[in-house]
Amino acid sequence: MNDQFLNSLRRDPAPAFARQLKSRLQALDAPAVAERRSPMWRWLATAASVVALSFAFTLPAVRSAAEAFLDYFRVVNFAGVAFDPQRMAQLWSSASIDLSTLIGQQVTPAAPPAPPVAYSTLDEASAAAGIRLRTPTWLPQGFTLTSIEVGAEHDFSVRGDTAKVQTVLDALGITDITVPHELDGETVTIQVPPVARLVYDDGQHQVTLTQARSPVIAFPAGVDVATIAEIGLRLLGLERAEAYRFAQSIDWRSTLLVPVPAAAATFHQVEVQSGTGLVIESGQVREGLGGRGGSLVLWSNADMVYALGGPVRSTDTLQMAQSVQ
Amino acid sequence: MTFETNLPAEFLSQSAASAPDWAAVYAEQLPRVYNFFRYRLRDDALAEDLTATTFEKAWRSRESYRRDLAGFATWLLAIARNVATDHLRGRRVHAPLEEAEEVRASGTPEDDNARESDGERLRALLAQLPDRERELISLKYGAGATNRAIAKLTGLSESNVGTIVHRVVEALRRDW
Repeated sequence: MNDQFLNSLRRDPAPAFARQLKSRLQALDAPAVAERRSPMWRWLATAASVVALSFAFTLPAVRSAAEAFLDYFRVVNFAGVAFDPQRMAQLWSSASIDLSTLIGQQVTPAAPPAPPVAYSTLDEASAAAGIRLRTPTWLPQGFTLTSIEVGAEHDFSVRGDTAKVQTVLDALGITDITVPHELDGETVTIQVPPVARLVYDDGQHQVTLTQARSPVIAFPAGVDVATIAEIGLRLLGLERAEAYRFAQSIDWRSTLLVPVPAAAATFHQVEVQSGTGLVIESGQVREGLGGRGGSLVLWSNADMVYALGGPVRSTDTLQMAQSVQ
Repeated sequence: MTFETNLPAEFLSQSAASAPDWAAVYAEQLPRVYNFFRYRLRDDALAEDLTATTFEKAWRSRESYRRDLAGFATWLLAIARNVATDHLRGRRVHAPLEEAEEVRASGTPEDDNARESDGERLRALLAQLPDRERELISLKYGAGATNRAIAKLTGLSESNVGTIVHRVVEALRRDW
């Protein structure tokens, strides 16, 4: 096939253009660092990580020990709970506890998972993740898909130790609640499923869509999940009555609780694709882009869980979320 | 030489964990992306703008690309495709009159003069192609992508890419 004539439009880029673009690229690194340091966005990123971590709890590994478990947890809804980071800091500052060491002793292996792998196309990434990755059909002006990553599947196990949890509560002065003994000595193997992360970029900001199979957590038979949740809320600094009321009002078999710092962000439930989702937005997002805050939308749909967030207004992240298919 | 083996040898030889030579990558990939846009669109200045947009997006995410450095060119072209699609979508929504002007102007004496060069003749022929076919030709001859890389990018099968490209090239050759 004679196709030489089809090369006649090829030209080298003008040297001046190549030089100027290279300089612009090198200059891009500085503002990117500044954005990463934004305190509010750092929290939102952490919140997204917490949700991603919760994706860790999934069915297959738990099924292998199905005989030992009766109660299952599957994320269908998200609920926000406001907490005061200052009060939490005060609570923890009064106790001489090395929490990371305490938790680390209960987790095997303690080594972090391998870094996520980048893919060129959605098909490749879908194959790697073992799920059909979904994408938004609507994007804010100027945003395009620039990065597709899939976090590797890996395993770890956690061993319950009632005495250690009780030690933490005692050190914090929380003496009016008893740790359920059913967890003591139980080892739960957790298989972290592949978690896909799609990054959309407008040249200045990045919006990330995280998706994975819906998490499933299995508890030993007879464990009072509401009491465990109440302990968690107390560790966040909630008052006794508030923690109790909240713990008793949630359906813990289908709801994932997302802590939100009260002074820095607001949250509300929304309908996303016929299901209940949660929108979290910092109060610092200014008109248009460029504010130091951001927004995060969490929702589940057809056995999948999604988190979509970035330094943009919640109207944008919500519209993106509604268009995911 | 194929699309992916055109990457600098020192770049390909690096392990995924080491820091790539981004200067070498830039020098190698800039002409591919730039020519993709030259084939894809009618405007050289616009090709420069969208090339810059593509590299800025890729540059910000470059550290996340750790898997297969040989596939970096494909990843970069995936971004370029999205940038082009975004631009074309915006034009359809926001500038229908501008597009109409462009179509009407295609037969003017000024354009006839501009087509004296082979490049401009080819550009005029490409402008008449349906969007998907023009994109395939842009990837193949502008960016120098292999049929396999194009298949990855577009979701078409490799054989389908080959068939379509062959058919379009034959048609273009008849009009050349």
